[in-house]
Amino acid sequence: MKKILIFLLMVCLISCKDALVEAPKSVAVETFYNTAEEVQTAVNAIYTPLKSTTSLGGLYFALQEALTDYSYGRGSYGIVSEFQGLDGTNITRTGQIWDNLYLAIRNANLVIANAPKGKDISQTDITKTVAEAKFLRAFTYFILVRNWGGVILRTEGNMTALDVPRSSEADIYTQIIKDLTVAETNLPPTVPVSGHPTKWSAKTLLADVYFYQGKYKEARDKADEVIKSNVYKLVDVTVSEDFQKIYGPNVINTTEEIFYLKYNQTQGWQGPHFAHHPGAPYYNRAGFFAHYTDNQKNPVYKNWDNRDLRKEHDWYIWNIGLGNTTLLNRKYRDPQRTAFAANDYPLYRYADLLLLYAEADARANNAPTVDAMLKLNMVHRRAYGRNPNAPSEFDFVLGNYNLNSFVDLVLKERGYETQYEGKRWLDLKRTGRVKEIIKATVGKDVADTHLLWPIPVSEMNFNPALDPQKDQNPGY
Amino acid sequence: MKKLILSLLFFVAVQTPVFSQGVTVSGKVTDSGSEPLPGVTVTVAGSTVRTSTDAAGNYSILVPSEGATLVFTYIGFVPKTIPTRGQSTINVQLETDSRQLDELVVVGYGTVRKSDLTGSVSQVKGAEINAFPSSSLVQALSGRASGVQVKQNTGAPGAPASIRIRGTNSIQGSNEPLYVVDGFPMGSAPALLNNSDIESIEILKDASATAIYGSRGANGVILVTTKKGKAGRTTVDIESTFSIQQLRKKLELMNATEYATFYNRVAANDNFPARFTQAEIDAAGEGFDWQDFTFRNAPMQNHNITIGGGNEKTKFSVGGSVFNQDGIIKSSGYDRYSVRASIAHTLSDKFSVDYNVTLSRLRRDDQPSNGGDRGNSLISGTVAAYPTVTPFNPDGSYRILSTAYSWGSNSIVSPINYLNETTNITRSNRILANASVVYKPIPELAIRIMGGIENADDRFDGYTTLKYLASPGRESVSSDESLSLLNENTITYSKSFNKHSLTAVGGFTFQNFTNTSISGSGTGFLTDVTESYNLGAAETPGIPQSDYSLSAVTSYLSRVNYGFNNKYLLTLSMRADGSSRYTEGNKWGYFPSGALAWRISEEEFIKNAEWISDLKLRTGWGRTGSQAISPYTTLNQLTSGKTVFGDALYTTFAPGTRLPGDLRWETTETLDFGIDAGIFNNRLRLTGDYYIKNTTDLLNTVSLPSSLGFTNTIQNIGSIRNQGFELSVDANVFNKSFQWDVSGNIAFNKNTVTKLYGGKDVLGSSYNITLVNDVVNILREGEPLGAFFGYTENGYDANGKIQYVDTNNDGLINSFDKTIIGDPNPDFIFGLSSSMEYKGFNLSMFFQGSVGNDLMNLSAVNYTLDYGYGLNMPREVFLNHWTPQNVSSKYPVPSRTVSSLVSNRFVENGTYVRLRDIQLGYTIPFSKWGVRGINSAQLFVSGQNLLTITDYSWWDPDVNSKGGSNSVNQGIDHHTYPTAKTYTIGIRAGL
Repeated sequence: MKKILIFLLMVCLISCKDALVEAPKSVAVETFYNTAEEVQTAVNAIYTPLKSTTSLGGLYFALQEALTDYSYGRGSYGIVSEFQGLDGTNITRTGQIWDNLYLAIRNANLVIANAPKGKDISQTDITKTVAEAKFLRAFTYFILVRNWGGVILRTEGNMTALDVPRSSEADIYTQIIKDLTVAETNLPPTVPVSGHPTKWSAKTLLADVYFYQGKYKEARDKADEVIKSNVYKLVDVTVSEDFQKIYGPNVINTTEEIFYLKYNQTQGWQGPHFAHHPGAPYYNRAGFFAHYTDNQKNPVYKNWDNRDLRKEHDWYIWNIGLGNTTLLNRKYRDPQRTAFAANDYPLYRYADLLLLYAEADARANNAPTVDAMLKLNMVHRRAYGRNPNAPSEFDFVLGNYNLNSFVDLVLKERGYETQYEGKRWLDLKRTGRVKEIIKATVGKDVADTHLLWPIPVSEMNFNPALDPQKDQNPGY
Repeated sequence: MKKLILSLLFFVAVQTPVFSQGVTVSGKVTDSGSEPLPGVTVTVAGSTVRTSTDAAGNYSILVPSEGATLVFTYIGFVPKTIPTRGQSTINVQLETDSRQLDELVVVGYGTVRKSDLTGSVSQVKGAEINAFPSSSLVQALSGRASGVQVKQNTGAPGAPASIRIRGTNSIQGSNEPLYVVDGFPMGSAPALLNNSDIESIEILKDASATAIYGSRGANGVILVTTKKGKAGRTTVDIESTFSIQQLRKKLELMNATEYATFYNRVAANDNFPARFTQAEIDAAGEGFDWQDFTFRNAPMQNHNITIGGGNEKTKFSVGGSVFNQDGIIKSSGYDRYSVRASIAHTLSDKFSVDYNVTLSRLRRDDQPSNGGDRGNSLISGTVAAYPTVTPFNPDGSYRILSTAYSWGSNSIVSPINYLNETTNITRSNRILANASVVYKPIPELAIRIMGGIENADDRFDGYTTLKYLASPGRESVSSDESLSLLNENTITYSKSFNKHSLTAVGGFTFQNFTNTSISGSGTGFLTDVTESYNLGAAETPGIPQSDYSLSAVTSYLSRVNYGFNNKYLLTLSMRADGSSRYTEGNKWGYFPSGALAWRISEEEFIKNAEWISDLKLRTGWGRTGSQAISPYTTLNQLTSGKTVFGDALYTTFAPGTRLPGDLRWETTETLDFGIDAGIFNNRLRLTGDYYIKNTTDLLNTVSLPSSLGFTNTIQNIGSIRNQGFELSVDANVFNKSFQWDVSGNIAFNKNTVTKLYGGKDVLGSSYNITLVNDVVNILREGEPLGAFFGYTENGYDANGKIQYVDTNNDGLINSFDKTIIGDPNPDFIFGLSSSMEYKGFNLSMFFQGSVGNDLMNLSAVNYTLDYGYGLNMPREVFLNHWTPQNVSSKYPVPSRTVSSLVSNRFVENGTYVRLRDIQLGYTIPFSKWGVRGINSAQLFVSGQNLLTITDYSWWDPDVNSKGGSNSVNQGIDHHTYPTAKTYTIGIRAGL
């Protein structure tokens, strides 16, 4: 018995020695990024914070759609549509968006920094995955710079530093263009699975970046490269329901898709959740109805040609307690939804690019051109159920427009074409006409404060390089 | 045994020259009922000669021929001293003593005589734990021991309650005490035990008592001892209770007429057409009572049997129990079936073995009842549901409340959906088993080796049927296995010589914890028949998950108890813990303690004061720790996820948002001063303690600039102080044919956050209930933990809207105007019990309460101010809202444009006094009637929670919706499963 006891004691003393070393069944930063497959999963992780409901997949989208000339925010988004600066609730929301965007940037930086050090990855795969990470980093900074102005520039070089000051908008754009130049060169022309960027996605994004900066010639040229590639084609529409071939929940990809955030039944998009009323038949008994328009009070809707198939497709009358003239958006429908909607978020569509080309080309030439008018008419014809490539009775006629009226016309068309895609506010800001157009449509004066979102507390309080007095955006 | 005694006698006879000659004295020791008492120690006073009685109570001892004095001692009985005076046969009857000072108290890794305690330890007897039916020992501890605050987080059956011993120490880590069952440190409160299985509970409160548990002792230690067999006659104890539970308090809500009238007022204020016509209002009447629909009277029953007995060599106790509780909300409930055994066997004078095992099967049915707003949870829907409509459409289908009125809430879900169409079942198999071998090479030395296993296999099944609102059928299942293996090796040496007594313990222990889990889910089912048992049939399968973690603690421990002349007592202890959870270099923590006690009553100058039967002063200091972090927290792990490309899911790998850092233990130092006194022959006993407890190196979230991608990291920064005073009094007021015992305890604790990272406030969680979306609790230096933080109201404006105080006078109402508006920590908590007995009748009462704490009634935010959504509300809102004629009303103008902030409006006084239990019992005098075989039989009726005195406006003041082990978000009531009151009848019998 005694011997047994001593033996037991010894066994334990020996076996317990290594027990304090942690050996989780998981991977760590220091040991990952070695194979092409590992690096690709790290690239995939850049998308997660972008698609999150507290980012582009929800709050960002809902905020942008409360900042339009064609509709109004409701509930907690109502105050956003007052255009007087954000309240606490919405400041919190922009803070969450900021956090997510920088999470995406961190994940991109991790790939850019670590992929070249991989032990078992080919140069081709390094080039490709780094290009995708740079595309996404540029995309993210482009969102940041347009909504916050000059932000904190974090690349693989300073990704661990605590104190990084705000950069100028110009510096951010320089970085974006640098990244996209790599991306348009190194990304493949086609991808096996939609949702990853191609070189054409990179060129489209680059065109949009130039466009926003007023570099119309460069924008036009990049857009032209994409158009001339003949990779994309507008989806044909004859009746309004045909638009579901573009936006519907079961569409996997279309000839019009340049770069989308992809969702499915398991991982749905929250965007449509903001549109619908639980009683309506489009979203399986749920919805925030956070945005609405009014067929009497809103001039954009009221003056919209009824023959335009988009009008019927995009909006439905639903009484949310404000009377029978209220309409909710139904561009995205998923009556069978289980989680959020299976519809994809169309970030860059071919129609969008055509309109970009039309405006950029006209501006680059200081007058509307035949080419510019053709691109505008392609989108316009399709909206009326006509073949985009054949003249129709709805065509605009070049001779009726000078540069200003043409630019107005494109901006108006864009306003119809990209409704509920989170684009309108940035378009209005880009053209410098945001105050004028909002006043003319919604009837509100846009405060200067409203033009940029505040640097969130999560950054301002904890970044030693920032001074809350000097570095905050105006009005916050 | 006889041989042993003989050899012992021989040994004594040879070795002790004093007893050159001797005579043998023998006799029988019995209790007051003439039952023989085995195991009574018989000592020759002033010598080391001792023996003990056999199974028949007989003894025989060699005493010096010139005469001696025999001392008979037995736990639970008054010792008796008898001079031999030449007699050769001495029969002794021992009297039971319920207030025995020499009774042993379990402390960590050993026991001490109660009179030798140097630390602060409360003892709660099994009879108190089992006084009335409750689902767990945690609930049963409420009000029973000073300084032990039991918070019922929710009234849901089987929901874990939480305990704070002498306040809250930790911000990030758990604040729950360590539970040790029969020497086995458990991962959480032992749900597997039925209260009838428990012999006693010792609560170690100060660090000089808990330091022996080192890194797990900071929040106090609850030692649970299960029933053990005693040598002698086999006893059978049976208990059965039946109870009916009902909603303790119904909220007084608007009836249909008032509701319709009210929402017409709201519509008029908002310039909308009337919601109801006068004819509709006239026809509305009382309408439908949704509270009656959701809540029901529910039965509860508890049956248990304990059989115990044995002889000197082998003792056993076997117990079985059944506990069935239906919740007062349909398809909620809690069942436990448990079987327990304890065997102790002495192989020889050197070896003994001990084995304890409990097996339990638990089943918990939950209703997802908590939280929500505008009617989107079961409880919030029950309040908000429109009294003007019923749950059913005329065709019998479920009415959809969210579309019942176009002006109503879009998120309200009829309670019937939860009640009939959702199930959330957790079934658990729990095992706790440990075995030990004790080897005594010499009588003073005991080497003990113990091994134990705690295993919990939990399976969760959740299903939402096709009939549920807008449901395609949702299924989720998960299975968790937690396993803990323990090995403890201790050596105990005890020796008394002259006036010195010494006990020393040293040991080495090892415990590890393995957790694995697997889960799956799916949506879209063709039929409800398969419930949660056919994941493969899901149209949209969820992403399966599995998980693994392993952690270990290795420890060295030692303790010395030294006593001089029974007057001066010293305890020193030291434990070294190594934990796998910390980084290299920080893995080991050292936890020393020391305590002194002075038994003044043993001093000559006080021995003359006859009315003082016991008086002891104690002081102790110690350091304890808290592990506070989960395994792998210090590693830079990548977590996996999924994201969509094309139409399919692809894997992602990225770090989380928390940057890992070097971490070490949280350390708590306690200084305790105590007094124990017994007067009037111990008929009045009191224990008082004053303590100061400082916790430092608190793990704290340190925010990082979010552009880093990591939003925060954890560092050991921050400290908290708890100081307080606690007192418990037991009095035996009458002890003749009328017996009356009263005992009470009271505890004052003051909690202060003394240091935070950079002096910056730490905000609690933000709650989004649509009308407000803000934090409720705050940590601020100099303030109590989890203080309520918000705006202060300043009456109404000319339109009846709420105005707030601009505290910083900057002309704006914004977050800079928030101040501390309440404190969820009570000034004091107390328990008071009384037991009266007369001629077989017993009347006992037990009060328990909390005084001076505030509650944040988040339920009231939507349900007294959110007028734009047709929510039903308390009648008071209808009767007392702002109108141009009534500007000093309780509620503002009823209008959809009323907005609200987290303000002092929702802070309510949470003080309450509750008659937790009242019981009338009658002991049937079978022995008087000459009925043999039945030792005792008591019939009783009782009621629980029959009376609660409180000003709190909502369901129940004993609530902590966001509680649990977390410490910041305290004192919040947010649509919580309400408390029941219970009527019980029962029988207790001993055979």
